[in-house]
Amino acid sequence: MNTTAPREAPAITVTDAVKSFRTRRETVRAVKGVSLRVPRGDVVALLGPNGAGKTTLLDMVLGMTDPTEGEVRVCGETPRAAVAHGKVGAVQQAGGLLGDLSVRETVTMIASLYRDHAPVAEVLERAGAAQFANRKVSRCSGGQQQRVRFALALLPRPELLVLDEPTAGMDVQSRTEFWDTMHVEAQRGLTVVFATHYLQEAEDFARRVVLMDHGMVHHDGTPDSFRSASTRQTVSFSWPGTMPLPDLPGVTHLDRAGTRVTAHTRESDRLARVLLTETPATELEISRGGLEDAFAALVNRSGEH
Amino acid sequence: MNLTYTLHDFWRQVRDVANMFFIAVLPAALFVMFGVTQGWSGESSGHGNVSAYLMVSMAAYGAVDATTSIAGSAAVERLQGWGRQLAMTPMGTGGYAATKVTVAVSVAVIPVIIVYLAGLLTNSMLDDLWRWFATAGIVVASSSVFALYGLAAGLLFRSDGAVSAASGLLVVLAFLGNVFMPLSGALLDFARFTPLYGIVGLARYPITEGWVVAVDGTAEQDSVWLLLANVGVWAAIFGAIALIAARRATARR
Repeated sequence: MNTTAPREAPAITVTDAVKSFRTRRETVRAVKGVSLRVPRGDVVALLGPNGAGKTTLLDMVLGMTDPTEGEVRVCGETPRAAVAHGKVGAVQQAGGLLGDLSVRETVTMIASLYRDHAPVAEVLERAGAAQFANRKVSRCSGGQQQRVRFALALLPRPELLVLDEPTAGMDVQSRTEFWDTMHVEAQRGLTVVFATHYLQEAEDFARRVVLMDHGMVHHDGTPDSFRSASTRQTVSFSWPGTMPLPDLPGVTHLDRAGTRVTAHTRESDRLARVLLTETPATELEISRGGLEDAFAALVNRSGEH
Repeated sequence: MNLTYTLHDFWRQVRDVANMFFIAVLPAALFVMFGVTQGWSGESSGHGNVSAYLMVSMAAYGAVDATTSIAGSAAVERLQGWGRQLAMTPMGTGGYAATKVTVAVSVAVIPVIIVYLAGLLTNSMLDDLWRWFATAGIVVASSSVFALYGLAAGLLFRSDGAVSAASGLLVVLAFLGNVFMPLSGALLDFARFTPLYGIVGLARYPITEGWVVAVDGTAEQDSVWLLLANVGVWAAIFGAIALIAARRATARR
């Protein structure tokens, strides 16, 4: 096998990867044939409900587990070689830190294990952990602990950053601050792949959204293309209070609250044209379904999300 | 093995007050209570006095507590995510094990130094200088068997609580193993099968040459082979449990 890494090799190449686990009673196929190519510099959000196979897929990319079938390459190497060569940084979910160490001690200890690493002070600064570097990890908030994990991930000067639900359990402000920091790193040309539950994060931060469910990729495209997968559109307008509503074309659901009417439809353009030209409707607003709608439509679990 | 990592980890263990209480303070306090202030402590016993005999016993208890808690917490911290953090670095399992063994042995030396200093400064007497070093050396070396015990507890139950319970259980094993106070009769016969009996018997060997004096004054001699067999068998048992638990822990992933 060719183990030398061509410089322009994509950050991640997953080819027909399958991962099954054997439990006592049955064989669970957590990933059922996923192919994915992430070029350098891309920022990819991996979306999907719990048990969709996101973490298993990321574990294969990090070399924590091997695919049962198929192949995973990272920066042109096997995942383990890429990790050993310091090309990959990972921000794990909860856990993974020792509470009785200070933040600086944690980073210093892990740094000492690399032959070549970024200076401790530099990664603390970049991850936004410098202000609380002397605090015990157990006394740090969830958001601060995540910055510590982030600092650890930056130590080997990675080319690829893998984050598994990095903002789970953070409050809104910490989440925003965390992604601001990530933005800076992405602009340095770092390839970023992150799993998330928060659809808004995917839309705000990623250039590409990969939706997984039941171990398979259901959608792969820009956040915009993802959004347009939502078929439901909403048209709302003001209507004179006393006047009865006429029959409107293509409306699947209608809500009337005072003088405001909200109509769900699959053909918003046609409905808008009729409303504005043939009726007294004013103050028209058209919105496409949000990511939640698209999500529900794509994973076919309407009502759950 | 990595020096910076090892030193940080050592310092982390030493500054843990609760841990150090059981590893160093309690054995030293027990030694002062039973070995120094009692009337019998100056009486001669083999190649030393009763005080020295108790000094070795308490140091052995402290050392065993150190290896148990460090090996146990090593297993727990590796299973609880720190292992994933380390997996992202060039440090492998071998490097991790070497680091933890170094830390455990270094910490096991602490109660030996403290209790021996207490003995030296009070009334412990040994016939020759080499007997001080021989007993101390045997204590530290044989305490490594209990690293397997701590490892088994950590791997089986995967919690810090279980490791604390395992090191708490050492008090019971120490009583049953003839470490704290001299047993006699049926209890002494039973003690020979318990895991701390061999370690403490070997550590005292340079003083007692295997003679065990019961409370009632009767004396019996253990051969060094019996003591070695006790240590060997318990090392095998703890090692086997740790191995099975480790296999189970990795299979679940």
